[in-house]
Amino acid sequence: MTTYAIPLLDRLPTPIAVVSESGAIEYRNKVFEEIFGSDAKSWLKDGARAVAGERGWLQGFFLAGDDGHTNDVEIEGRVYRIDKIMSIEGYDTPAVALSFDDVTRQREAEQAKSDFTSMIVHDLRGPLSGIQGTLEFVLSQEGTKLDSLYSDLLTEAQRESERMMNLINELLDFSKIESGNFVVEPEPVRVAGVLKRAVRSLQSVAARDEIFLLSAHGRDIPQIIGSVEKLTQAIINLISNSLKFTPKKGLISVAAQIVRTDNMPETIVITVTDSGMGIKAEDVEQIWSKYKQTKNKSLRGGGGTGLGLYIVKQIVEAHGGEVTVASVEGVGTSMVLKLPVKRAA
Amino acid sequence: MSSVANPIVRPQWALLVGDSLKQYGPWHTHAKLIEARNAYPDDLAIRGYLEIIRNMIVRELLSHPKGLQAVPKLSAEFLTNFDRFNLNAQEGYLISLIDGRMDLQKLQILSPFDPFNTMFIIAKLVNERAITIPQ
Repeated sequence: MTTYAIPLLDRLPTPIAVVSESGAIEYRNKVFEEIFGSDAKSWLKDGARAVAGERGWLQGFFLAGDDGHTNDVEIEGRVYRIDKIMSIEGYDTPAVALSFDDVTRQREAEQAKSDFTSMIVHDLRGPLSGIQGTLEFVLSQEGTKLDSLYSDLLTEAQRESERMMNLINELLDFSKIESGNFVVEPEPVRVAGVLKRAVRSLQSVAARDEIFLLSAHGRDIPQIIGSVEKLTQAIINLISNSLKFTPKKGLISVAAQIVRTDNMPETIVITVTDSGMGIKAEDVEQIWSKYKQTKNKSLRGGGGTGLGLYIVKQIVEAHGGEVTVASVEGVGTSMVLKLPVKRAA
Repeated sequence: MSSVANPIVRPQWALLVGDSLKQYGPWHTHAKLIEARNAYPDDLAIRGYLEIIRNMIVRELLSHPKGLQAVPKLSAEFLTNFDRFNLNAQEGYLISLIDGRMDLQKLQILSPFDPFNTMFIIAKLVNERAITIPQ
């Protein structure tokens, strides 16, 4: 290292070290030494080792290119965001320059925010479930003759309570994703069953809004490994989204097919297609991002959190899949989910 | 010589599908999209566009004033000249259920195929004039 570079690095407030592939420290600046002392060697060496077939965190920095690689690592009870500055040549073994940013407080704040959201959401769901149950009971009493005005008002209250429940559920899922608690617990999944369950749960909402909701799935759809609950939720989110933008007498179809091509491993493609107003070309790219909504106005009133499709994307990616969208303005939109077939044993 | 690989140029499906629908209607667009799906088997967006067109076709069928209570009948042409129609097994099975009394809802229940595909096959039979659905 050039002579002027060392005093310069020593004045930086961020710990920086040049580490070899084996976890040996080739260089460290003053702040690094003050914070980690000589103990650094042991945890660096741990990071250089693969454990139970899993690559050590340090090894990832040597596999990554020089366009930056970041990893949050817990070191002695604190969380450090480690960034790769560059690969360093001139040592006997490959080495990388790393910076260590203490993000413990930031992570604690995120966790506190997430815990608070989860608690509020749970507390809101209880009474809202009670309101929904009561409304459903009153509206389902065939013997009771309700004045049409009251009946309309109660139906509207039911619709709005469903909307509120959806918003609360989206917030709960979002807080799980943000806190890193969104984990797929693998189990055998019958994809056709998932579609049927999702369609059945929204059939009455579709019928109330005079929208046809039909499912289509071949008999050869294999079981996959994933989470029944989360995949059902993804399909429900997509159908709910379509219900917002599909006019009366419109059609929503939910289909699954198995795709086998020469260049692609066996894949299940699920589509949720509506005859809504379509999405403008400039909006297509952003629909899967959080808090992003199209400029289209919901036909069922009210907006959403802008999290529904973001959650779908997270669920599909947690299953090793991909999402894409096809849309023709004025004709309709099709949300396409691609799930790799990991067959149940 | 440049070492940069040629990027795969994907057609702008949204524009092509929109134009085709305006000029030639849903059935022609459907046939063209099946060709496109075979040419680009890994392009998942095509499957989405295909579903949009299939959805459009089924919605048109369901927009009949009687909706699912509409009753399909065999066409005169089919009754007199049925070997002209090149039906596949699924179409043949469904047409055998059409007796001039059963409505679309009952056909959907009796059909061994899923509800959407049952309606799509019926729409195809209407388009090929093997059956009619009187107003």
